[in-house]
Amino acid sequence: MAQDPDAALMLAFQRGDDGAFRVLFERHARAMVRFCHHFVRDAARAEELAQDVFVNLYRASGRYRPSARFKTFLYRIASNHCLNELRRGEYAARAEARPGETPADPDALPSHDPAPDAAAEGAALERAVGALLDRLPEKQRAALVLCRLEGLSYEEIADVLDTTVGAVKSLVHRATVAAAAALAPFAAPASGEEVLP
Amino acid sequence: MSPRHPADDLTAFVDGALPPARAAEVRAHLERCAACRAEQERLASAAAAFRRVPPAPVPSPLFSERLAARLAREERPRRPWAARLAAWVEPSSLRWRLAVPAAAAALAGGVIFAAVRMHGAEEAAAAEHLDLLLHYEEVASVGDVASPEDAAVIAQLDEIAPREGRP
Repeated sequence: MAQDPDAALMLAFQRGDDGAFRVLFERHARAMVRFCHHFVRDAARAEELAQDVFVNLYRASGRYRPSARFKTFLYRIASNHCLNELRRGEYAARAEARPGETPADPDALPSHDPAPDAAAEGAALERAVGALLDRLPEKQRAALVLCRLEGLSYEEIADVLDTTVGAVKSLVHRATVAAAAALAPFAAPASGEEVLP
Repeated sequence: MSPRHPADDLTAFVDGALPPARAAEVRAHLERCAACRAEQERLASAAAAFRRVPPAPVPSPLFSERLAARLAREERPRRPWAARLAAWVEPSSLRWRLAVPAAAAALAGGVIFAAVRMHGAEEAAAAEHLDLLLHYEEVASVGDVASPEDAAVIAQLDEIAPREGRP
């Protein structure tokens, strides 16, 4: 895939150019920490997971083929790693014990303060999204994060999750229906989506 | 919501992920169906809420150093055969820079060797013919030349010049 500069870097790394791997890391480190943070919502743990992702990328570099976009290859490694982390009993127990999390009743979130400032509302929204993600089945969770928080297309998500575009459409739809209920207190006029004429 | 309502396509419609023909059908349905329009607005509002989620924390300053330390302990990944082949043929490769002159030298040596051998064969044949010419009388006098090649040469010499005056 000649148009993908990251793919060219990955191929250069396969040929022994260690500097190419460093460039890939510098380009994607922040996105990977952010992505992992959506799963664990703990800054230190997100960094550890993101480092694991790059170590796994390093180890898996020999399997990379330029027919796959580098971005989806990287997100596939990251998704698998984060989902494995969530499956671990140790993490599940920590998640349950996480303090200050979610609202059994999402309607109670911002409505206590008639004029919440932006930071407080942002924090409340973040907690509500975290609680929603915790409740979703793992595939829906991954699809929702990739779509709504990472901005990947349905086709890219299908590559990452190794499934069909039709399956992604269904996963994103069900997760968004759940989000519509969970985030109703944060509803605001939508913008940027398809709108009726 | 009845099966005729495009409920399952509304999120993809909001995301602009439907094929154009299907998107046009959904848009036409929404113009006449208040229930689906309300659901579409609800889904669009949820999608918009995600864009207001505060950004995740940036990596700490030690993030790169920690990763570098971890990678330093890793064994260099085995390169796929295609990459090894690519490294072989890469013009900047030291191996390539050494291999080209070596291959050229080997080729030149082969050509010289072949030329020398060919030249030697021609010289040997000429020597045989010269030897035959010098000993023409003797050989021709035998009357019965054993080698067909020698017989042909003698016949040609007979045609070219008379025997007299020939060395």
